[in-house]
Amino acid sequence: MVKEIERAGIPVVHMCTVVPISLTVGANRIVPTVAIPHPLGNPALAPQEEKQLRRRLVQRALVALQTEVEGQVVFEK
Amino acid sequence: MRLELGKIRIKDVQFGSETRVGQGVLYVDRAAVEGIVGEDERIASVSVELARPGEEVRITPVKDVIEPRVKVAGPGGVFPGMVSKVDTVGEGRTHVLAGAAVVTTGKIVGFQEGIIDMTGPGAEYTPFSRLNNVVLVCEPVAGLPQHEHEAAIRMAGLKVAAYLGEAGRDVEPDEVDAYECLPLLAQAAAYPDLPKVVYVYMLQSQGLMHDTYVYGVDAKRSLPTLIYPTEVMDGAIVSGNCVSACDKNTTYHHQNSPVIHDLLARHGRDFNFIGVVITNENVTLADKERSSNYTAKLVEMMGADGAIVSEEGFGNPDADLIMNCTKLEKKGIRTVLVTDEYAGQDGASQSLADANPLADAVVTAGNANEVITLPPMKKVIGHPEAANVIAGGWDGSLAADGSIAAEIQVITGCTNELGFSHLSAREI
Repeated sequence: MVKEIERAGIPVVHMCTVVPISLTVGANRIVPTVAIPHPLGNPALAPQEEKQLRRRLVQRALVALQTEVEGQVVFEK
Repeated sequence: MRLELGKIRIKDVQFGSETRVGQGVLYVDRAAVEGIVGEDERIASVSVELARPGEEVRITPVKDVIEPRVKVAGPGGVFPGMVSKVDTVGEGRTHVLAGAAVVTTGKIVGFQEGIIDMTGPGAEYTPFSRLNNVVLVCEPVAGLPQHEHEAAIRMAGLKVAAYLGEAGRDVEPDEVDAYECLPLLAQAAAYPDLPKVVYVYMLQSQGLMHDTYVYGVDAKRSLPTLIYPTEVMDGAIVSGNCVSACDKNTTYHHQNSPVIHDLLARHGRDFNFIGVVITNENVTLADKERSSNYTAKLVEMMGADGAIVSEEGFGNPDADLIMNCTKLEKKGIRTVLVTDEYAGQDGASQSLADANPLADAVVTAGNANEVITLPPMKKVIGHPEAANVIAGGWDGSLAADGSIAAEIQVITGCTNELGFSHLSAREI
């Protein structure tokens, strides 16, 4: 999916937990997420903290989307 | 640590007025088994069924398969930390009702696989069609949470296997095999001229229906650690794990791991099998990094020249597999990986979700996406309607006549990554 959308000329951010797989399949902008069963959430957190976590991840992805990259980049922060 | 496994060959299973073994027949006191399962107040009802090789019977969805055993000498009891006290096992003598099994079934979640056909084409794909199975169909009390339901069925199977195993306590085994494993330094010194090999045993540990227990400990909560091969043979590791069923290790697999048996068979001749590292497959990247770092470090500390690494499951565990491989290889420890493939129904897609050039010696247990049609059976034990909503099935998989068209990943143990199956390849 990531590669096909990029092939059409649209940049993609791949938000995923298992970064090595994303690197293997060839995503260029990668944002690491929380866990495989809940990539964009964390049931261990209080609702307000979890919302902040989700907001941080989405904002990181938006920054990644606007960042020029040469090859594969993992956006750790 | 020296363990003797005394095998009592079971050729048939029948209901009887008392549970006993006579002339190779396991007689099962049905009411006693129902009573053991019924002790758990989470289980509302249980029915006990028998399924023998060649019968027109389908069992689905299978939760676990367990070999009945009894500890007759040496410390501990069967399934330590689960059924027996948490003593260290792996030495002494254990009697095995070889050819018999307890099979548990129960529909716990929406997507749940696991088919054992006792005859027909499906039977060729699962080793459990060749066993005399005592099947427990357990129904939970209303409103029981899924985790509790899973635990209740898991314990029911283990308890009944322990109960049936008791019938072999005073029976003279048909054969006795002995296995001896030494402490690490002594083992390493035993064959100084042979390459030292460690087995890295990956245990699925991703949550409900994907968990494994070691002496009662949920494997996801443990760092990688060492275990004697004979402890594994003696029931230290049990399964809580059945989706997708083709490449999950049932408790029976752990009890009879061919990787361990084959390593021991060639130990002292072709190589020096110095020990087993168990590790997990967790759901966060940090866990995967930590566990694979720790695994590679332990294998290095043991002084190994090479490692066999077996995976359990597929998809993201492929990342654990490749991490274990690359981190070992970078320490100069050569690896052979044992896995299966999800290469698409036509076999043309990439087989694993992750890959690396250092993974240059890989054994496959087969392509789980291959499609098979399982003909209708006269009798279905369990919940056949699950076939429409299982991984590897599709809406309409279950036909009106009772036949099932699905990928072989629905069949319990079909592409088992310990090599415990009958699939093989032929060059054409």
